[in-house]
Amino acid sequence: MYSFLFYFLLEVFGWLFLIMSFSVISIYIILMILSALEMRDYLRKNRFADYGDIITSPIAPGVSILAPAFNEGKTIVQNAQSLLSLHYGKFEVIIINDGSKDDTLEKLIESFELEKTSFAYYPEIETKPVRGIYRSKNISYRRLIVIDKENGGKADALNTGINIANMELLACIDVDCILSSDSITRMVRPFMEETNRKVIAVGGVIGIANNCDVLDGTVTHYRVPETTLGKFQVIEYFRAFLMGRMAWSRINGLMLISGAFGFFKTDLVRKVGGYFPKTVGEDMELVVRMRRYMEEHKIPYKLGFVPDPLCWTEVPENEEILSRQRNRWMRGTIETLQLHQALRLNPKYGILGMISYPFWSIYEKSAPILEITGLLYTLILLVTGDFSAVYFFALLALMYFLSLLVSAFSVLYEQVAFNNYKDKKDLRKLIWMIVLEPFTVHPKIVWWGLKGHIDFIKGKGGWGGMIRTGFKKAEEKKTIQTQAVN
Amino acid sequence: MRLDLRIFLIISLSFGWTRLEAQEGIIPQDSVGFGEFLILQEEVPGLNYRWQIRDKLLPEVILSDTLFLFAKTDSGYFSRPIEDFGKLKEMESKLAADSLDYTLRLFVFADEFKWEGAREYLANLVRNGDYMPVFEERDTSEDLVVLAKKTPYSPFLKFKLLFVSDFKLFIVTAVIIFFFTISTIMIIFMIILKVRKSNKENLIKEYEQLVIEPLTNLLFEKDLEEINAMKPDDFYSYFPSDLLKKLLFKEVLIEKIIGLNKKMKGEFKGKLKLIYQRLELDKMSIQSLKSKKWHKVAEGLVEINEMDLVDALPEVKKHTNSDNFHVRSQAVATLLNLSEKVDLNFLKDQTFPLSDWQQMNYLRIIKFVSNVKPLKLEVLFDSKNQSIRIFGIKLVRMLGRIDLIEKLAMISQEVGKEEQIEILETYETLGAHMEIDFINNCLKSEYEDLAFAAAKAAHSLGDTRSVTLIYNRLESEHLSFRLRKQFLKTLSALDHSRFDQATLGTSDPITKQIRAHILDPMLRHV
Amino acid sequence: MKKILIIEDDLLISSLVQFRLKKDGYDTHLVQDGNEGVKAIDTINPDLIITDVMMPFRSGIEIIHHAKKSQPNTPIIVLSSLGEEEQVVLEAFNLGVSDFIPKPFNPNELAIRVKRALQ
Repeated sequence: MYSFLFYFLLEVFGWLFLIMSFSVISIYIILMILSALEMRDYLRKNRFADYGDIITSPIAPGVSILAPAFNEGKTIVQNAQSLLSLHYGKFEVIIINDGSKDDTLEKLIESFELEKTSFAYYPEIETKPVRGIYRSKNISYRRLIVIDKENGGKADALNTGINIANMELLACIDVDCILSSDSITRMVRPFMEETNRKVIAVGGVIGIANNCDVLDGTVTHYRVPETTLGKFQVIEYFRAFLMGRMAWSRINGLMLISGAFGFFKTDLVRKVGGYFPKTVGEDMELVVRMRRYMEEHKIPYKLGFVPDPLCWTEVPENEEILSRQRNRWMRGTIETLQLHQALRLNPKYGILGMISYPFWSIYEKSAPILEITGLLYTLILLVTGDFSAVYFFALLALMYFLSLLVSAFSVLYEQVAFNNYKDKKDLRKLIWMIVLEPFTVHPKIVWWGLKGHIDFIKGKGGWGGMIRTGFKKAEEKKTIQTQAVN
Repeated sequence: MRLDLRIFLIISLSFGWTRLEAQEGIIPQDSVGFGEFLILQEEVPGLNYRWQIRDKLLPEVILSDTLFLFAKTDSGYFSRPIEDFGKLKEMESKLAADSLDYTLRLFVFADEFKWEGAREYLANLVRNGDYMPVFEERDTSEDLVVLAKKTPYSPFLKFKLLFVSDFKLFIVTAVIIFFFTISTIMIIFMIILKVRKSNKENLIKEYEQLVIEPLTNLLFEKDLEEINAMKPDDFYSYFPSDLLKKLLFKEVLIEKIIGLNKKMKGEFKGKLKLIYQRLELDKMSIQSLKSKKWHKVAEGLVEINEMDLVDALPEVKKHTNSDNFHVRSQAVATLLNLSEKVDLNFLKDQTFPLSDWQQMNYLRIIKFVSNVKPLKLEVLFDSKNQSIRIFGIKLVRMLGRIDLIEKLAMISQEVGKEEQIEILETYETLGAHMEIDFINNCLKSEYEDLAFAAAKAAHSLGDTRSVTLIYNRLESEHLSFRLRKQFLKTLSALDHSRFDQATLGTSDPITKQIRAHILDPMLRHV
Repeated sequence: MKKILIIEDDLLISSLVQFRLKKDGYDTHLVQDGNEGVKAIDTINPDLIITDVMMPFRSGIEIIHHAKKSQPNTPIIVLSSLGEEEQVVLEAFNLGVSDFIPKPFNPNELAIRVKRALQ
């Protein structure tokens, strides 16, 4: 009887893994094709775009740049300076000091001649108390608004900024990002271009600034980072941004716009209640909630994506920091998917429910679990001496080749589209990384993802029953508010 | 003797049924059948038989036959105990051939039994599972189905696993083949693409070098008239003649001439245009308008626009209502730029909504051409397309056409809320004091955005009636934060004492905050 | 013969400029990017530099910096499609360039300005 059950399970798993590997291959090949098509169209369209106008045109929308800062005293002045010098006509820079323990606020006050004002605003989204809103006496810093508030985390800081923002569009960025001076003009274009659908958000590519030369807010010379983790992330970012998001944006299935560089429609963000401060994946959660709102109200909409290299950031090359980041990403994904279970395979939500959500739950959320199970399975087959172990080795090899193909293609896309890493030596390094990555870094990533699952189950990061009730309260509050307004 | 055997078997028929159970039921219950059954079995453990012959003398052949090994006893000759029932027939025929008086004796081990006893013994064996009866001759030629029917059931798990794992092999092979074909196709495709691209790039580089000399020579050595007067042969002799037939070379020429045209001034512009036409590149540009690929069409439009190919305008006009956003935009931009008289009727009839991006581009061109050409903006007000009507109103504001305020006033009553908001903004920018009645009317609106726009306009244009209207609404209604803030701002600008009245006496904290905001000198100039 | 260094990434434009200046009897050198430009300033020792401000590898500003440091007396003419009020152009003027010619430009006009700058 037991041996029957054992064989039965082996059978079932065998089939599952076969189906999985087949679907993985098909999906990645489809993604590659879609992203190639999208890239071709984008480059074609770009030839007809004249960005010169947008800076001065009265028709271009205003942009509020929201940059939360926590203990950034060392770099905040320089960062604010570079945000203020972006090339655009109508924009404001809102820096939110999220209860820093260092001298972030003092430095800002001193360098930009700030003074506390009696700025009146309506706290549409509930946040931690605001201690003061500062503006500059100096007319050349007229674009700058500094908010000083009590610490409440990134999402809470952004929400405070959203309450105060005066412009049509929000640009949520990490304050330490390097933004190219024409980044606003490029990111604003998708909002302006669409005629029949409402563009609710636009995402951009994030490049890796480690080991690169930076001048006047632009990376002038690209170099591949020295460490394995750094190189790995270069490839990973290519894959994620140039291939993944590009393909998803073609079918309007984007579920995530990176919190480090994303543009949103202000009125809609306010309508859905801003960022949700109780999750660690606030950037993904907001996008999903906005999409959900549009689907539920049956308004045609679109999410845009701009593949031009406009924003760069230093990624962690330290294993410990990276592991924490990945753990957090995984928890954020799980939490978002849990919060929006109503979308799962629900035809009412169109592509979001039928394609994006299932993809994320299988290939992003469950990927580490599936991979570990698959490996264990093959090991068991080996131990029991089952002949089908050979097939599974074949499948493993196949997956390896697939990862090579996908990574190589994303590097190729970068070369064809932008060709930033011009040095042949750098290319060789990247190719080596692609070959070795599945053995060196990938197992670590899988392990960190699994730890994210474990931490989620343990209830780290204030999840558990709390998040559900918290969300519900936010929803209820929302309806009460709209009633009050009406 | 044969007869004897038969009698022995027939007698058995007269005996009643013995107790039988399922498995043993297959053993025949008559002596003849039982005999046949035993022959079929060949051997049954413990069961044997002997031949008894009653004749006094046996022929030597039989006596010496090792098959029988007859031995003489008191009651005649007895054969050795034989276990192989399969030989029974053969032996009987031997004995019968010599017409001997023979009988068959059945034994279970050493004890003799009647056939019923032997049957009982065999049935016991079968019942206990100690013996598996054979039902058919081994070299059977019978139907397999019949065989199978008689085979008792036994579960055979392994069989299923084997089947499935073979199927798995099939699937795995299919997946592998699928993967490798697709990736090979993709890689080959990419390589072809890359090779073609780099070939093309090399050629372009080569051609770029080749066009420098003829262009510089023509631009610096010849006057406009000289180029014009040149004979075709002389003109073409500047260029490598074999390459002039090549499409790619012409494309490079087009790109380079247009590039120069953008960066050059004065007489050079005219010369470039003339060269462009003499090389018949203008025909190519016009030809590309007929392409099925949208980017070709758009490129053609850009070329026409850059090189002022006025002759192509009728062709361009056909594209103003194209499905493709970029074609549409470029066509409209070209038309606006090149038309002798800016006739906006084609824009008025456009059915697609105007995006902000298009509005921005058209605005730039219209701004530019409105300085040199007469412009009838007001046709846009009659468009059936709301976004175009709104664009028309915006244009009045952005081009500062104060002369059209009267027209706006005429339509302001019938149009929708969005247009009214635009009109209010236009009044505000152009300082249209005479339209204060309309502004005051809008101040009363329940539609927040309209009232907001009206309040903004009233900030600079308002009169005493606006003050009363705003004050009354502030006192009697619960307004949204945004509207309240704008109302108070306008009020403070129009009548400060009324503003004090509205804000000082109140206990409402929000109103107090707004008052502080408005009075804060730091926030004044923002 | 006066030596003129032209730093400009558009080959056709620079060839046209070169052609025009050769007619006036100058010895001209063409360079297509910022790195080459910096090298050429030291090796050629030009009497006049014509440069663009937006170029691959090194910005025109860097070139001007370099030129002003190593040969402070060499006049520099900036040729650019940016408007005169752009930040970079203002910066260039601050660094002490002698002339600015916006694109679109007229090569004949450029020749006159070169002559004036070399006097």
